[in-house]
Amino acid sequence: MTLDFVPRTAILEEIDRQVPDHHLFRFRLPNAFPIAPGQFAELTIPGIGGFAVSTAAFAAGPLFHACIRRIGRVTDALYRLPLGARVGLRGPFGKGFPLEEFLGRDVLLIAGGLGMAPLRALLQALVARRGEIGRLSLLYGAHDPRVILFKDELNALARQGLLDLHYTVDFAAEIPWRIGGIACQVGLLPQLLDTVRLRPERTVAAVCGPPGLYRCVLDELAGFGLAEEAIFASLERRMRCGIGQCCHCAVAGVYVCRDGPVFSLAQLRRMEGAI
Amino acid sequence: MKSFGVGNGFGEALLAILQSRGRVFGPIRGADGICRLGPLTRWTSLCADPPYLPPKKYLFPPRERLWSLMADEYRRNGRPEEAMALVGLAPCDLRAIDYLDRVFADDPHYQERRRRTLLVGIACVPREECACRVGDYPPGDLFLADDRLWCGSMQGEDLVAQLRPVLGDEQDRPLPPREFVGRPQENGRLLAAFARSAGAPLWARIAQGCLSCGACSAVCPTCTCYDIVDEVLPGKAPERFRTWDNCFFSSFALVAGGHNFHRERAERLRFRFEHKFFGFGPLRGETSCVGCGRCARACPVGISLEEIRQTLLRESSR
Repeated sequence: MTLDFVPRTAILEEIDRQVPDHHLFRFRLPNAFPIAPGQFAELTIPGIGGFAVSTAAFAAGPLFHACIRRIGRVTDALYRLPLGARVGLRGPFGKGFPLEEFLGRDVLLIAGGLGMAPLRALLQALVARRGEIGRLSLLYGAHDPRVILFKDELNALARQGLLDLHYTVDFAAEIPWRIGGIACQVGLLPQLLDTVRLRPERTVAAVCGPPGLYRCVLDELAGFGLAEEAIFASLERRMRCGIGQCCHCAVAGVYVCRDGPVFSLAQLRRMEGAI
Repeated sequence: MKSFGVGNGFGEALLAILQSRGRVFGPIRGADGICRLGPLTRWTSLCADPPYLPPKKYLFPPRERLWSLMADEYRRNGRPEEAMALVGLAPCDLRAIDYLDRVFADDPHYQERRRRTLLVGIACVPREECACRVGDYPPGDLFLADDRLWCGSMQGEDLVAQLRPVLGDEQDRPLPPREFVGRPQENGRLLAAFARSAGAPLWARIAQGCLSCGACSAVCPTCTCYDIVDEVLPGKAPERFRTWDNCFFSSFALVAGGHNFHRERAERLRFRFEHKFFGFGPLRGETSCVGCGRCARACPVGISLEEIRQTLLRESSR
């Protein structure tokens, strides 16, 4: 924990600009940055500000990957930075996805919009141990086909038979839409749930997306018969300190930044106002 | 606990010692009749009223620099904290500082200031708007009551050693029992009532008049929500500051993309009530409201957490 708020210096090393306003940034640190899927860091653009962002990759070593949407003053400044620029990095913060809970089970990932970024880190960790899990499915909903993130990697995993992949978008110019050969529906994310064949008693689910997604999807998953201890969600909140002090992320007496951001549905049921 | 009789001249002697080691602040009545904490120059100008603003600002400043970035290197604030003494603190404010100590237990900025700060507590007579908690209270380094002085710490003992010529008999005595406006510790019942009150009309009814001005949090001795802001001035190094924030501001729980987790004033009022009476994180279950009544006095529309507390208990027992 970086309790003194002093960041480490990281170098902006690479930018993947494939999706407009949703670039994937890679930062290099002088030493290892052991950040697990579901954990987050605080990125500082010196003199401008900082924000919390989850890791978008499962990677060891001195690297941090983040998929960052251009949405405000600070991210705008990041988008103007040249390669080689120095930024500050604090963290890792929070508790990530409990990987051991996913091994030996079927896994269902549900991503809404930018929620795909933390789930990509989890997906990479799961693919690295693909032999130890049963079925692996991803339901991914986005605003429109242009903002589907990581689609080349996701499609490649699907073509290799490692991942059962389902897309849906809110809006599309024509129907049926195909994304790299994978069929894409038009409709809301929960509708995709009808397309996967679940073995509820042996399935673990991880959900990440906009705040409005959780209540309906988590209840539906529980309705299918998944155990509430086996449904995980990563919560978004305003986070300034990352260490359970500044209070912006507190809900039901729990600091999301410290005790989360990943919680099981069993925990969330006891946290009034969390979803 | 070690205790000593005190006689004439004791206060001035103590003040002289405290002034020789650093700055001294205490409650002083201003020309407008309001009692505020300020630099204490004469022992006799100590005011018995609780200061309008709590001592929080001396240990947790409204704005403090966390670092500046010089030649690609993040540098922490280099100035060592000055020694200071806070004198004439009522038991509720001592209790509040005790709570801050735990909130910021791991915070190097707070702890550096705290280590160089002496606390001299003083007995008080509860007023009508007080709602202090029954039970023992932290004594600070020194505590004054009934013409006696109690020692609450090693630093207090050091001061006593220097003050010995102006002190009377030494006895081992417990702190004097205090008159409290008995607020029994019924937090279990209160928490149950609070949990049942989600979406209850009570919150919207009371929050209806709330101006979201945040005065209650600003004057609260245990409110510590903060924001982190960066600044860069022309020709200067970029700097990062920690500044007081406020859970009544509409931006408090706003995230990128525009979703606000506390959109309604009722939600913000309920959040503050929860923080004050039940705490967050490792301090969950501990009341941080010390019953000083400052928030109700500062609120321009007369909202009182103490009244809400009583209403909750009353409405839930029906």
